[in-house]
Amino acid sequence: MTAEEIIKLKENALKECQAAGTMNELEAVRVRYIGRNGYLPQVMKGLKDVDPSERSEYGRIANEFKNQVSAALDYKKTELAERGTAEAKSVFDYSLPGVWRSLGTKHPISSIIEETVRIFGKLGFTVAEGPDVETAYHNFEALNTPAHHPSLDQTDTFWFETGELLRTQTSPVQIRVMESRKPPIRIITPGRCYRRDTTDATHSANFHQIEGLYVEKNVSLADLKGTLAYFAKEMMGTGVDIRFRPHFFPFTEPSVECDFTCHVCGGKGCRVCKNSGWIEIAGAGMVDPRVFKKVGYDPEEITGYAFGMGIERIAMIKYSINDIRLLYENDARFLSQFI
Amino acid sequence: MKVPVSWLKEYVDFDASPEELAKKLTFSGTEVESIQTIGGDFKGVVVGEVRSIEKHPGADNLLVCKVNSGREEVSVVCGAHNFNVGDKAPLALVGAELPNGMKIEERKVRGVISMGMLCAEDELGLSDDHSGIMLVSRNIPAGTPFSEVAGPPETVLSVEITWNRPDCLSIIGMAREVAALFRTSIKLPSVDFMERGEPVEMLADVDLQDVEGCPRYTARVLTDIKLKPSPSWMQKRLTLCGVRPINNVVDITNYVLLECGQPLHAFDYELLTDHKIIVRRGHTGEKMTTLDGIERQGLEKSVLITDPARAVALAGVMGGAGSEINDNTRNVLLESAFFHPPDIRRTSSKLGLSTESSYRFERGVDIGGVEWASRRATALMVEHADAVAAQGVIDVYPNKRPEKKIKCRFQSVKNLLGVDVADEEIVNIIKSLEFSITGCKKDHCVVGVPTFRPDIEIEADLIEEVARIHGLDKVPTIVPQARVVVDADDSVTRATIACRSNLIGLGLMEIMNYSFLSEQLLNAISSADIDSRVVLPNPVSSDYAVMRNSLIPQMVDTLGRNLAHQVDSVSLFEIGKVFLKDNNNKISEENHLCIGLMGKSGRAGLNKCKPVEREEIFLWLKGVIEALAVSQHVGNLVFKPLNCSRMDADGAVSIEMNGHVCGVMGLVKQEIRKKWRMIEPVAVAEMNMVALIQWIFTPFELHSIPVYPSVSRDVAMVVDENVRHDDILKIIKKAAPQELTGIELFDIFRSEHIGACKKSMAYSLVYRSLERTLTDEDANRYHEIIKEALRKELKAEIREGK
Ligand SMILES: [Zn+2]
Repeated sequence: MTAEEIIKLKENALKECQAAGTMNELEAVRVRYIGRNGYLPQVMKGLKDVDPSERSEYGRIANEFKNQVSAALDYKKTELAERGTAEAKSVFDYSLPGVWRSLGTKHPISSIIEETVRIFGKLGFTVAEGPDVETAYHNFEALNTPAHHPSLDQTDTFWFETGELLRTQTSPVQIRVMESRKPPIRIITPGRCYRRDTTDATHSANFHQIEGLYVEKNVSLADLKGTLAYFAKEMMGTGVDIRFRPHFFPFTEPSVECDFTCHVCGGKGCRVCKNSGWIEIAGAGMVDPRVFKKVGYDPEEITGYAFGMGIERIAMIKYSINDIRLLYENDARFLSQFI
Repeated sequence: MKVPVSWLKEYVDFDASPEELAKKLTFSGTEVESIQTIGGDFKGVVVGEVRSIEKHPGADNLLVCKVNSGREEVSVVCGAHNFNVGDKAPLALVGAELPNGMKIEERKVRGVISMGMLCAEDELGLSDDHSGIMLVSRNIPAGTPFSEVAGPPETVLSVEITWNRPDCLSIIGMAREVAALFRTSIKLPSVDFMERGEPVEMLADVDLQDVEGCPRYTARVLTDIKLKPSPSWMQKRLTLCGVRPINNVVDITNYVLLECGQPLHAFDYELLTDHKIIVRRGHTGEKMTTLDGIERQGLEKSVLITDPARAVALAGVMGGAGSEINDNTRNVLLESAFFHPPDIRRTSSKLGLSTESSYRFERGVDIGGVEWASRRATALMVEHADAVAAQGVIDVYPNKRPEKKIKCRFQSVKNLLGVDVADEEIVNIIKSLEFSITGCKKDHCVVGVPTFRPDIEIEADLIEEVARIHGLDKVPTIVPQARVVVDADDSVTRATIACRSNLIGLGLMEIMNYSFLSEQLLNAISSADIDSRVVLPNPVSSDYAVMRNSLIPQMVDTLGRNLAHQVDSVSLFEIGKVFLKDNNNKISEENHLCIGLMGKSGRAGLNKCKPVEREEIFLWLKGVIEALAVSQHVGNLVFKPLNCSRMDADGAVSIEMNGHVCGVMGLVKQEIRKKWRMIEPVAVAEMNMVALIQWIFTPFELHSIPVYPSVSRDVAMVVDENVRHDDILKIIKKAAPQELTGIELFDIFRSEHIGACKKSMAYSLVYRSLERTLTDEDANRYHEIIKEALRKELKAEIREGK
């Protein structure tokens, strides 16, 4: 078959295709031209008889024949199908429910952790993680906790027979990082912590914390205040400010508690903030020199700040969740709202 | 702790409203939790005299009393029974409004008219006591306004004292804080008294054997005591602080405890064998009965106060029964001591016994103030209990330490706080807190630490003092500067975040369960894992007794609980740690991913009536894992049949990623599903996160887009039912030329026409050469080879299309 013959064939095929009035007629066109025993195999077979110099041109025309006829058949098929539909007088129902898989959702605790990691990431903090099962040394002693501090009690901490424990805070990660490298250090440590609290609306024996640590030459309480103020605005909104109140933590000296402006009332006072205009969010302070000594740093050379926050607490405040248990009940009717 | 403002003002002068005071205290580290007003103007409340008491005709528990209000006799119905004719009590007349908000009106109580109310302390806002009506002295004339009896209303602050500040667990300690905040000084009460008795050494003996547990012990002896109620001002202050008045001796020890924070113990001198105190550790097996009547055991290692015959007190925690002040007490041995805080903590927590006394000792009392407290209590006993004080005091204090000195460099203060505090201000603040300045140089001063501040040990502690008194509001908010730490690596966290977001993109809902669960739930899924379980020795409850060693039990439980809430279609995942124990009881942790599918979650569109098939839900889950593996750049993912006790025998596979087994997936066994009433199949998978996250940041090579067109050929074949897709793939791949670049299963079809135990499977094969355009003949030739192989190896009947 010559190239001209193929082109002619193609034109006929397209004409017949156009003329077909029923699906059966259309199927006959398909079988005749591109079916197993139709023209197409002959066209393809012809390739080997063509002069080598014309072979590529022939190939192009042959392919064009196949593709254009197939496309025309498909097009006509849709047209005939639509005509059939129209004859049945049904409507194109745009109002039917869309068909796609449902969306997945992120757990609110993950959302807050990831958001916190993102915000501190902008300030040059990288994430460090550590084990949930910790040594008493890393969880208490290295953090300057006095040996008779109540948190060491059987009643407050989960102890294993091995002498290890479930960490009560993510601060041991800070110790591990300081033990393993020299300053500067700029880390945040999200993770799961455990305290022997009986679960109720505001307590959970299993909870999440995120802590931060910055160790460098000349770090001051004012740097800490600036960092937490930045975080407060990023996390809770631009109108949110912070304030410090003195407090006590064994790990830091001076120690402060950090309040955020109540984002619900903007500081005017409401039910959420118990009319104070402020909500307690973080514990923080300047790392105690005795902690630096434990990890082999020279407190005369460097200073540092540390802070810690409860993830559940932030999630509850941010999403107005009034019962911590909702976060662990995994009720799909609750979680599906966190799209 | 409760701080009555009027009591505070006895030691320190300041001019501020309770609200201003509370704010200053809160912002200097002593959080004021509430400001309470006790009492009121008591308008309409007078002292009433009970003239007669009769039973209420219509109610067994009520009384009808005639009460003289000073002006007239009124009839009052009363529910309390703690009084007699002639007693006097606060009487609220019609029209009165009580501090608790109650309005008194004329009313009928079961048919009897009541013209007022005899009040209990709680109704008057004086305490929480509602055990009966409040009785006042019979000497007060009826009709006296109750406000004259009760005195003006009191303001009481409730303060939370942090663990490091035991000195603030007292009114004088609080006064010191207030004095520093208002830059004034405190005035201490008098501790002068006449020592009219014999020398104390003639009367008593102290043998301090345990100097570690008790670094200082003092004893005084008071004789000829008259037990009686303590003065009303003292009773009132005790009541305001929540301590119930008992008698003058007990009240004075409690009063001094509240006043200066030093717990005291008064023994009945005559009940101490040989009038001798021995301070020692408990012997093995030693027992004693404490004041509350409970026999205490396991006292070895506890510090005990004993006489030669027996233990008479659990040092610093509670006195013993049999040596305490009683109605016949005439002579008293007064103990004031310092006990080693960790010892008291151990005893208190071991016995589960916490008292006002142990609470202070375990935090550390003022070792330098032990003797002062003893003198203060003695002075009060001489004054209010007619006591004769013996001469002198037994004061055993063998290792008195010199005053602690700390250097405070002015520049360190400024550097650490980031505030420019004037040197002079630093010195003034330190002085205002009653620290002594023993040397003041140009760039530093040397600070002497008073014994009541055991928390001050290093320079940073002094800096904190400056910060909190100077005011944290003066710390500037410096815009953060990000000095990047260059070699920090948090790729694991980033990879995990990517994995979570890929799972969400695949339409899954993230859940989060506790790290511990009940043994019952574990056993409901499988008991094959018992040896690897990490059991918590001290769980909060049996619901949280074992650390999870797999995420599957809680996943199944979560699916089941959602089904119980009528949520029948969900696709869930959890990323979390599991905890495993090896043969040597060593605990290890792994980060796992668990996925669980239930219901028609994988079916889009309207086709939701058809029940979910086992294979169908299995393949949905497999699809999720395949897509996840691709998105996490796992190159090679293989599933192999597996025996798993939790899953259907034919519906379980292991998951291999890049050659390593990293998890399992399959259909939860029916007998497990039944426990949650799950009728339809449920698919779960669990895998180690390491496998999923380790390749995501590996650089990958781009493949060039093919130059030559591909040719596709379909093959449909009828095979036996027991032939698997995998079998067909293997045969095709083995027979195929290198030009075969794609195999796609596009149809499985069963019908009567094909025959029983047979199925038709249709594949689309794509051929492509990297060097040239393939001709139809090429494709046909390749395709024939493959068809032939399928015919031969599977006895497949190849169905030829037109
Ligand atoms: Zn508010």
